[in-house]
Amino acid sequence: MDSFTAITIAVFLPFVLAGILPAVEKLLKEKVGWYASAVAFLSLLLIAQVAPEIIHGETIQGTIEWLPSMGINLSFYADGLSVMFGFIVSGIGVIIMSYSNGYMSKKEDLPRYYQQLLFFMGSMLGMVFSANTIQLFIFWELTSITSFMLIGYWRNRPMSVYGATKSMLITASGGLFMLAGFLVLNAVTGTFDIPTILHNESIRDALQNHNLFIYALILILIGAASKSAQGPFYIWLPNAMEAPTPVSAFLHSATMVKAGIYLVARIHPMFSGTEAWFILVSGVGIFTMLLAGFLAFRQTDIKGILAYSTISQLAYLMTMYGYTTHHEPGIGVAAATFHLLNHATFKACLFLVAGIVAHETATRDITKMGGLRKEMPITFIVAAIGALSMAGVPPLNGFLSKEMFYEASVEMGHLLGGPYTILIPVLAVLGGVFTFAYSIKLIDGIFLGKRPSKGLPVHIHDPSMVMLAPAIFLAGLIILFGLVPSIPVHNFIEPTVSGILLEEAHLHVKLWHGFTTPLMMTIATFILGILIYTQYGRIAEWQNRFNAMFPWISVNYYYDGAVNNAKSVTSQFSNRMQPGPIKTYVLALLLLTLAMFAIPLIMLATTLVPQNLNFDIPLYEGLIFLFMIVGALGAALLPRYIPAIISLSGLGYLVALLFIYLQAPDLALTQVLVETLSTIIFLLAIVKIPQKFKEHIPTTTLARDLVISVAVSAMIFIMLINATQGIIPPFESLSYYFIENSLSLAGGHNIVNVIIVDFRGYDTLGEISVVCLAALGVYNLIHSRGEDE
Amino acid sequence: MTTLITKTITKICLPLVILFSISLLLAGHNNPGGGFIGGVMFASVIALTYVAFGLYHIKSFFNPDWGNWFAFGLLLASLTAFAAIAFSHNFFRSAVEFVHLPFFGEIELVSAGLFDIGVYFVVIGGLLSIFKNVGDDE
Repeated sequence: MDSFTAITIAVFLPFVLAGILPAVEKLLKEKVGWYASAVAFLSLLLIAQVAPEIIHGETIQGTIEWLPSMGINLSFYADGLSVMFGFIVSGIGVIIMSYSNGYMSKKEDLPRYYQQLLFFMGSMLGMVFSANTIQLFIFWELTSITSFMLIGYWRNRPMSVYGATKSMLITASGGLFMLAGFLVLNAVTGTFDIPTILHNESIRDALQNHNLFIYALILILIGAASKSAQGPFYIWLPNAMEAPTPVSAFLHSATMVKAGIYLVARIHPMFSGTEAWFILVSGVGIFTMLLAGFLAFRQTDIKGILAYSTISQLAYLMTMYGYTTHHEPGIGVAAATFHLLNHATFKACLFLVAGIVAHETATRDITKMGGLRKEMPITFIVAAIGALSMAGVPPLNGFLSKEMFYEASVEMGHLLGGPYTILIPVLAVLGGVFTFAYSIKLIDGIFLGKRPSKGLPVHIHDPSMVMLAPAIFLAGLIILFGLVPSIPVHNFIEPTVSGILLEEAHLHVKLWHGFTTPLMMTIATFILGILIYTQYGRIAEWQNRFNAMFPWISVNYYYDGAVNNAKSVTSQFSNRMQPGPIKTYVLALLLLTLAMFAIPLIMLATTLVPQNLNFDIPLYEGLIFLFMIVGALGAALLPRYIPAIISLSGLGYLVALLFIYLQAPDLALTQVLVETLSTIIFLLAIVKIPQKFKEHIPTTTLARDLVISVAVSAMIFIMLINATQGIIPPFESLSYYFIENSLSLAGGHNIVNVIIVDFRGYDTLGEISVVCLAALGVYNLIHSRGEDE
Repeated sequence: MTTLITKTITKICLPLVILFSISLLLAGHNNPGGGFIGGVMFASVIALTYVAFGLYHIKSFFNPDWGNWFAFGLLLASLTAFAAIAFSHNFFRSAVEFVHLPFFGEIELVSAGLFDIGVYFVVIGGLLSIFKNVGDDE
């Protein structure tokens, strides 16, 4: 299997195998989670097969034609960056889906859960391997949708629904900004193809000097920031914690929220090296890093602390990718990439621990916990490794990348000169101090100190290996990457950095490299962190007081205001637009038709008198028309429902007869059948309502209706007679093409059918999808109405 | 609605109409007919049965989930469209094959025919699911 095929299969395998998951569930029952992790493992193997080529510095690219005539193709591109993400996504996927076997109760709707996890994994893999921006956008929004479903997994909890809606609104609309950015990018570069832009220096130079550069950059960054919960968009991530904990570990710490970071890294070669890049990416990053790190203090929910810490850690990555100057476009790229990998390990590990603790103690409130180290010794050790790595304590992997972050900050400050020489390193240390403080809080609050006298179950113990093993594995990786950094650096970081900087990268990461400035900064971080930690409770209290005093200094305040108002505004709008009686809609429809006919008719007014009308019609044709008039009058005038309906369907059958006379058998057949079916439906509805027109219609209404219907029919009459008399220029008939090609191209004699299923098959596929949606819509309307009442 | 005449006629019509709808579906490529018309015909006769004998009576012994029918139809139709990609052709490319069978003589196999069968099931499932849901509603 060649590498391109391997990647294509790795992306689509989760989708296909998730499709048959319900059938597998019938067979495996509650063990279906192992099937899901096996699927993830297959994807992992397929990506691993590609890795050696990538480590040698090659890239893989390929295309499957989709709609070649429109230049829309399915194309994949793999370089160090996408393969590293592929490993993180599928690897954490295996871990999470195995862990879920222990976490999810057997009573839960397991097929839905695992199906959506697999759909998510496939979308995420599709996104990181996409070679064109439109395809990237589609997979991007697919991850938003699956994230929405998984956050709202517990559909009956209002907070789940709130969190799911919030994440959907923010990330999906952010994605639309990104799409606009891609369109601007296309307008400038003339291509949707990412490798073309990456590997063509003249295109990139032209882009950087173009007027639209800044717009493309801002639009794409809005997409990235909304997905990665940066800047004001951070508000969705804390609410997303309503999802089952394995989902939070997978989507909302290790993978999906990193999509924004991936995007920033992906467009790094196109946009970096400019002031705008530094200000927008690093600026937003530093701001979010400090804000989220600070706000973590007042959280009492352990997943809430982890959510804010995730926002803050993602902001580190943004900041590092944003460090750039004209001469050195990627000062922090190596540090950011290494930290990205490390964050995936320690944060997923901490979330798994949070899930274990919540599973065993039946609460997530850190104020109710304490002293669990004796009862859960293994969980305690694993949690300590994860949290200390996040805090940046040697010899764990978090220490290494934190040092690199400090080093890059010092270099960036130095290159900028002036006050920045001090400012940027100081802000970086401050971010590290917050991180240190809440990391310690996690260990101290849950495992150290005294066990509270009440609020916890009596017997608490380490969970089964199903839940423990994934966390232990991640903790092992944390230590391994810390002690032997050459493994991740050589296999993941160097290929990724060369993919981003487009030149060969050689990094030397060591645990000990002398008393350097970064080491001093780390020591300062620890001292300040311990100091801040002694004031932890006070700071949290102050934050709560501040929040109570100024509720309007909060993004959530405006989000809730906007969304709640939107609900009342739209319901007012729809009440006005859809009052209920069908009569109103018909009236609106007829008036619109009138307007649409009236304008061209008035414009053509001079030629409106038809000449040479042919009154020579055969007898039976005349008879058909006569009966049709009688049928129409009967439908309008008969005093009871059933005769009126029969009269109306009689009219319909006469139309069918006319079609036969005009030699259109398919049309006639359809007309007869549709007429029959609608008559049956009418009759079914009629037996349920009284058998008389009870309603008395006032004369003025009657007169108005009459005027409108006469006007509409007159307009249509004039229009048709003009069309057939050749006053309005005729269009060239399309039918000749189909008559000539129907047999040779599609092998069918019935042109109508061949058009439906072959020449215009795409339309038909759309139409039958609409039929299905309509049926589902009717089902939902009828059943949801029943629940409301 | 449920007069003896309606019931008797419906009983006689039901198998004939269903057979005719299938023949319309299969004949569609070269003669008048096709998935849509066949589907509407099938749906009409089932709807007529519902009306003649009463929805609840029919449901007690014949109660398929029409939702599955249109889901299957949509799946079949989409798969025929995607199948072309698996054979390294463009999306929706159709294929024609003539096969000689004993007794039946020459038979034309068209991939578009499978698509038409998908349309047939979507129309039946969609219409009848709407019909049943509306009819069920109190």
